[in-house]
Amino acid sequence: MRTKRTQKLLSLLVMICLIPSSLAAMSAEEIIRKTDEMQTFDTAITEGELQITDRFGTKISTFIAWSRGSEESLIEFTSTAERGQKILRTVDSIYLYYPDAQELIRMQGAALRQGMLGSDVSYEDMTGDNDRLSQYEVVLDGEQVIGDRMCYKLSLTATTRSVPYPKETIWIDKEHFIVLKGEYSTKSGRLIKEIDVLETGRFDDLVLATTTRISDTMKADSQTLMIIRELQVNVPIDSRIFSLDELSW
Amino acid sequence: MKFLISLAFKNLTRYKRRTIITALAIAIGIAMYIFIDAMLMGAEYESVRNLKWYETASARILDDEYWEERYQYPLDLNISDPDPILERLEAEGITASKRIVFTGDMILSRAEFGEDGNIPVRVTAIDPSRDFDVFHFGDTLIEGRFLEEDEEAILIGSWFAEDIGASVGNWVTIITRGNGGFYEAIDLQIVGILNCPNPNVNRTLIMMPIKTADYYLAMDGAATEINIRLPDQAEVEQEIATIQGLLNGNGITVMSWETMAKDYLAIAEAKRGGTGMILFLIFIIAAVGISNTMLMAIFERIRELGMMRSLGMSDMKIRIAFMLEAAGIGLIGSTIGVIIGVIANYWIINVGIDFGFLMREMDIGYRIQSIFRGTWNPGTIAVAFFAGILISTVVAYLPTNRALKMDIPSCLRHQ
Amino acid sequence: MTTRLMKTALRNITRNMRRSLLSGIAIAVAAMSIVLLFSLIGGMRADMETNLKDFYSGSVQLQHADYEEFERYNPVHLTVPYQEITEVLDTIDGITTYVPRTTFPSSLYIDETTNGAIGVGVDFAQEARYHDVEAIVHEGRLPSSGKNEIIMGGNLAQDLHLKIGDQVTILSTTAARGTNAITMEIVGIAAFPVGAMNTSTFWAPLDRVQYFLRMDAQVQRILIKTEEGVQEQQLAATIAQELSSRTGETYDVRSWKQINLMYSFIELAQLIYYFVGVFFFLLGSTVIINTTMMVIFERMREIGTLAALGMHGKELVRLFFLEGAFIATIGSFVGVLAGVGITSYLSRVGIDFTDALSGMDFEISSVLYPQLNVWITFFVFFYSVAIASLATLLPSKRAAKIEPVEALRYI
Repeated sequence: MRTKRTQKLLSLLVMICLIPSSLAAMSAEEIIRKTDEMQTFDTAITEGELQITDRFGTKISTFIAWSRGSEESLIEFTSTAERGQKILRTVDSIYLYYPDAQELIRMQGAALRQGMLGSDVSYEDMTGDNDRLSQYEVVLDGEQVIGDRMCYKLSLTATTRSVPYPKETIWIDKEHFIVLKGEYSTKSGRLIKEIDVLETGRFDDLVLATTTRISDTMKADSQTLMIIRELQVNVPIDSRIFSLDELSW
Repeated sequence: MKFLISLAFKNLTRYKRRTIITALAIAIGIAMYIFIDAMLMGAEYESVRNLKWYETASARILDDEYWEERYQYPLDLNISDPDPILERLEAEGITASKRIVFTGDMILSRAEFGEDGNIPVRVTAIDPSRDFDVFHFGDTLIEGRFLEEDEEAILIGSWFAEDIGASVGNWVTIITRGNGGFYEAIDLQIVGILNCPNPNVNRTLIMMPIKTADYYLAMDGAATEINIRLPDQAEVEQEIATIQGLLNGNGITVMSWETMAKDYLAIAEAKRGGTGMILFLIFIIAAVGISNTMLMAIFERIRELGMMRSLGMSDMKIRIAFMLEAAGIGLIGSTIGVIIGVIANYWIINVGIDFGFLMREMDIGYRIQSIFRGTWNPGTIAVAFFAGILISTVVAYLPTNRALKMDIPSCLRHQ
Repeated sequence: MTTRLMKTALRNITRNMRRSLLSGIAIAVAAMSIVLLFSLIGGMRADMETNLKDFYSGSVQLQHADYEEFERYNPVHLTVPYQEITEVLDTIDGITTYVPRTTFPSSLYIDETTNGAIGVGVDFAQEARYHDVEAIVHEGRLPSSGKNEIIMGGNLAQDLHLKIGDQVTILSTTAARGTNAITMEIVGIAAFPVGAMNTSTFWAPLDRVQYFLRMDAQVQRILIKTEEGVQEQQLAATIAQELSSRTGETYDVRSWKQINLMYSFIELAQLIYYFVGVFFFLLGSTVIINTTMMVIFERMREIGTLAALGMHGKELVRLFFLEGAFIATIGSFVGVLAGVGITSYLSRVGIDFTDALSGMDFEISSVLYPQLNVWITFFVFFYSVAIASLATLLPSKRAAKIEPVEALRYI
């Protein structure tokens, strides 16, 4: 009973501490920075699944992912059809490991535009988010309720041609700084991709998106659901796991 | 000598019937040879023509690294400033046109097509005012109209139209990546349907104006390729060396259609053997026809030859007179043969044979242009012409020689 | 009367051996060439047909009912159960052999670049029963089942600078609609008789491909060969019906002629060749007609003599007709015989065009086996006789009409 109370108190305190900044209208950049910060962990181990639907039906792939910071991660698939396949993302490249192949396949250039496992998530989407602030001009468009949560609505306009989406609109949960919804468009505002967080969940004291729907708005019959079942953050991970040499293990 | 020539000439006109029959044998043989050669070479050239006319042009200028990455259709490996190159080529009298080729997804909406769909496609952005000077799409339009300079419009191949159930007036959306990698969506209206005789092209063709593509893809005037049309008889390799010289490097390179289409040529080559055999056979028939008629014509005149000998004409002169006469017949026959052959070729090459009826079982609304055409082959015509004269002259030599070895009385008695 | 005419005709023929020989040879050569031409055409058609049946469609092709509709989306998962289907196929009459083939577009990952290629999973043991699969081996050997080995089209290997012993990593979409990669060793270089395959295709053992593509025991399609004389279209319908009644599944079963495009190209090629054939007949006829007419014109004086001796016009015409017919019969018999002889020799040995193709980087042995067309051969024989005999009528009728004196003056 007591501990609960302390907890509540503490969170209240945190809220109070945050209020001034939000009252002083957090700038758009700050919101982005804060979000990136909240979503990035020193290390994390995630377990989850991808439900990929296309014109031929739905298939489910399960995976475990290890990540360090925002730039290094290793995903290993555990479902039968792709058991043992791994995707290693290092600071500057993406490598694919297939158990039956004797060499690693390095994805680069246009190949990065392919959907991972035939999903609506491209390899490029996995790498894309690093430095949004240097590639986009961000404007805070006010606040909006998404589902039952109050969000910041941000408009991002690309300042370079080398990003996939010249325009983005994202809705960021004011409380947890999770991107609850994203709309990714062309320069003229044609919607290309849509990301909706269908469910959020609490892991320890973290609130994160647990079910995310990614859909190509142009392809009526396709969507990908990314579901996170387990999450451990800031657990020790052997740094060798992110090295190329270890990949073949 | 002058006497011999006039004698030969007199003989030709005197024995009109014989001259006509013999010359006719030669003419028919030569005409047929020329015609069949044009047809067979046409059949063989068909695939090459389909390639050069609709896919590769004669040669193509590309960024140095483009070819290696060609399956990715990279927009960033481009020719950044194509217009000065086009001007330089034009100054040299070389026909060329720029293109941007890119890939994307074509999105079909339920409203336009009855069901939603998306298809991976390759789009060719062309310069509407010049492209048809290089490629031969000019006469393939079967519905609608051609593209204008700067509009949101596409032309598509008829089989492709059939596949997706499109007709003129429908709108489609192409989702693609611009130069740099950004997503772009382009709404385009189908303004025309092309029926291209090249099935590969007809099944996949999508063309839009290059200006529109340039704008949406942020190409800033760059093109991914410049296609060049060279005359049919041009020495491609040599021309390419010249063009390469004109460009002097600058990170771009020229490729011949032969290099680009190695795969296709392999198929065409395999047929060549059989064609050669057929031409050989027809040559045999024609040659036997010519020599037989000629032999007969000479044998028939051994008595006359005997008369000439008894009148004291020298063997040498007689031989020359007879061979000159044979050469004359050969010349007449060859000339007529070439004329008939050229006329027939003109027909088979420019009009062609419509074999559409063969395709009627194919359950497609748009029929592929099903006209079989021959091809000009100046070498064959020249060879046939001289072969006609040569064969008749050489064949005349043998019986004349034999007759000259006989004694005069048996010559005179000869039947 | 007739016998007398016959005797005279025969005597005339033997009396002027040279003339008879000339016109006989003309007829023989024309007949022989036409027979040879049609054998060549037949051989070329058979060659195309064999290639189509061996490498593309079989006589009858069986695949998933929806495969064709979704073909452009590369529906690797639309497969058919091989075992179950072959159990039914084994009970159907008219089928000689069948073979499973699984074609999958793939990328070959070499030096950090990907290169497009087409992989085919084949059961090499079953292939051997289907066609002469060993014949495609240009160098090395066929892959062994159960091993990660491939045999690669010669031009493709050359383009990618690969040789026997090299390891290649193959990427493809799987039947689970995911991606997969596998490394295989090149154990053979293939010379497929179809040019396009040499530049794009590699063959791998079916079981490894099934594993690689996550297909279990499924295959993409089954090519079926039929017994001689079996109506392919009908058989295809029977197979479809049998399968649907015994397994409850609908399959796409079609004869090679129903798989339109390829077949209509054969038809087109044939049409062109037959068109050429018509011109052969025309040219052959002119040679025959020409020679025959020359012979008669040459003999105007003889005709005059005969007429002066009281031979009637009709008899004259008949005499020349008989002479022509005799020579033509012998000539075209010899010609057709020579044509048949050469054809049957070549159809055993084959005409090797390999040299003619040496302009290519990679040599494809191209041996054509001419095929005798019995009906056309008979037709050519009678046609030549008829043309030659009829060709005598025109000049001999004219000769019969002229006055003996005039004919005697004839040069």
